[in-house]
Amino acid sequence: MNKELYINGIGAISPQKTFDNSVFLEEVLSYSTNKMMCVDPDYSLFFDGRAIRRMSRILKFGIAAAMIAIEDAGKPELDAISTGTGFGCLEDSEIFLRNIVAENEGVVSPTPFIQSTHNTVSGQIALLLKCQKSNNTFSHKGFSFESALLDARLNALDYNVQQNFLVGSSDEVSTASYAIMSRMNIFRKEPCDNLAQLASSGKGVIAGEGAAYVVLGKAATENTYGRFVDVKMISNPKDEATIEKAIHAFLALHELSLKDVDIVISGLCGDESRDTLLKHCNEKVYTEQTIVGFKHLCGEYMTASSFAVWLGAKMLKTQQVPESVVLRNTARTPKTILIHNAYKTSHSLILLKQ
Amino acid sequence: MPSAVYIVGRGVISALGDDLSGNRQSLLQSQAGIKAITRLNTRYSEMLPAAEVPHTNEALAAMADMPVTTTRTALLSMIAAKEAFDSFQLPDKLNYRAGFISANTVGGMDKTEDFMKEFAVDTTKGKLHDVIHHDCGAATELVAEKLGITEVVTTISTACSSAANAMIYAARLIRNGYLDWAIAGGTDALSRFTINGFNSLMILDNELCRPFDDTRKGLNLGEGAGYVVLASEKIVAQLAQQPTVKLSGFANANDAFHQTASSPEGRGNFDAMSGALAEAGLQPADIDYINLHGTGTANNDSSEGIAISRLFGKDLPYLSSTKTYTGHTLAACGGIEAIYSTLAIEEGVVFPNLRFQHQMKELEFEPQICLLEGKEIRHVLSNSFGFGGNCTSLIFSKVNE
Repeated sequence: MNKELYINGIGAISPQKTFDNSVFLEEVLSYSTNKMMCVDPDYSLFFDGRAIRRMSRILKFGIAAAMIAIEDAGKPELDAISTGTGFGCLEDSEIFLRNIVAENEGVVSPTPFIQSTHNTVSGQIALLLKCQKSNNTFSHKGFSFESALLDARLNALDYNVQQNFLVGSSDEVSTASYAIMSRMNIFRKEPCDNLAQLASSGKGVIAGEGAAYVVLGKAATENTYGRFVDVKMISNPKDEATIEKAIHAFLALHELSLKDVDIVISGLCGDESRDTLLKHCNEKVYTEQTIVGFKHLCGEYMTASSFAVWLGAKMLKTQQVPESVVLRNTARTPKTILIHNAYKTSHSLILLKQ
Repeated sequence: MPSAVYIVGRGVISALGDDLSGNRQSLLQSQAGIKAITRLNTRYSEMLPAAEVPHTNEALAAMADMPVTTTRTALLSMIAAKEAFDSFQLPDKLNYRAGFISANTVGGMDKTEDFMKEFAVDTTKGKLHDVIHHDCGAATELVAEKLGITEVVTTISTACSSAANAMIYAARLIRNGYLDWAIAGGTDALSRFTINGFNSLMILDNELCRPFDDTRKGLNLGEGAGYVVLASEKIVAQLAQQPTVKLSGFANANDAFHQTASSPEGRGNFDAMSGALAEAGLQPADIDYINLHGTGTANNDSSEGIAISRLFGKDLPYLSSTKTYTGHTLAACGGIEAIYSTLAIEEGVVFPNLRFQHQMKELEFEPQICLLEGKEIRHVLSNSFGFGGNCTSLIFSKVNE
């Protein structure tokens, strides 16, 4: 059953300078606040000036990340587009809500309403590419991106004729979401250094955002980074035994055992209470693997796992594990990578291979 | 041919009724649920008719057995999903790999917009409890947890095609062995956000909507939830009562024309309908009834009608828009209309397109205007088209056809 998909192009816009595929975390940006926001590429390379002024941040970085991945893959014709977004287009939703309040439901501009729809990023990508094929948007907390990945996996299993799928996610920090989640005590209170955050034990996460897309193809190309094998979502694992069983079963399904896994990309977010199960796995399950973190680079958000896929793909292609992401080094070369993410109590496993 | 996926349970709540039998009765009696708005607090209550579920949140919470503070989106979802779950007659059904694939467009917006009244003035104000279930996934999680479903739980948000895409996703998960059965469909509650949004686009009719009528002026919004239970052949083999309807074809396409408008020729609509036929291995002539997307906007009905003419030629099946009864329930419409499609097959009926009077100039056909009974309905095509160019068509077929 050769139903694996090759990662043939990647694109990420994040709080790090990830938009340039020719480099790989050679420079790492540090933040001393509890909020990390995207480093913008030159958007005039992607959109005209009028569009840039009209578009919200999530539309700009979401669509541009997709375009970088498509360009990187050599602009193949796409057979499906699948996007995940936990919160959708927050900034436009907020503007529209505020306008309704301010005008007491009077005359309001439709633009933020139009752009607030959750499928705006995916729809705009289709519009720009004139792609009339399958187009899906998933919005389900920490499983938004994973559901989109599973959509591509189903495409690979369902249709032998289809060749290239664009899969990714986007989420933004908005003024209101940051204010509201601050009131909910979700973020770190004290000033924090993001680069030291995963090592320190504390309460609260650093707010993050970003977009990352991959082009998955049924055939390898000269640009192939590695393979995406499968994804597994684990809803609210009730204890350590449950998550361990799920990890072993997922690997066994692909005729692998733990010893075959070289690198674990762990979704530690720096909040003690949220990280309990992941820490357990890193200490007791992934004992021989090199453990890599990523949320100190992109922050915590519902679709941060797409950043981890970008990171994994880069490691597979360059065969490098940048010092800035290593949490525990067992000197394994990156051939088989398991991403184990958690967003609150939603755990997910994503398997990548060379 | 890929293995079939069967409809083994149903649940629905809309302005027509609180359950399947209530909806069925209103449809057969040609009773629309569109009226002046009484429940939602909006300045448009007397100006813009809508199809509200005629219950307060308190009443819905009692029906759903959930806290009264729950978002209306989740309450509607729970009531319909529970009916679907209970109607699925498989012993020990939670011992199988079960999924809940839901859909909504604005999540817990009904509470967020109350929160925003205070928050907009002072960001330290507003009850935080009103926004904890703002995201689309929250309603799905609450319902899945209450039903005890864990294997695959997710939410699709592709505007007005959301529930239809949820059913496709569930069917593909079942076909590929990820799930044995799944509850799939969608939910949406009426909100000021959507009323003001659609109103700002000037596509709401201040009278009762008239889909596929030349004098149509726009849509009426509605609310509700609709879910089917989809199951594999393996599960069906264990059921005492065999299902009568299966999901035989589906396709998701994109119009790639405009963020909110359909292409004049309905190219995405055409791709979705022809793709669903191909997937089902059927010809246009095999379709006995089309449950139209038929919102009542000038643009949708024209594009949809032109695409239907191109695909079906002059030999058209019966057609009607049941949004003439339920209003446009957005992410829920694909689920609610899937259930109406199964009723059409089971009972050999075609529900009329209410209030139709004038044939559209650009079309050579009219929708069905009176209730048809005693017809052999083997295959129904159900359309759901939305913002973002999202176009989805589903085909429901009588088992053994």
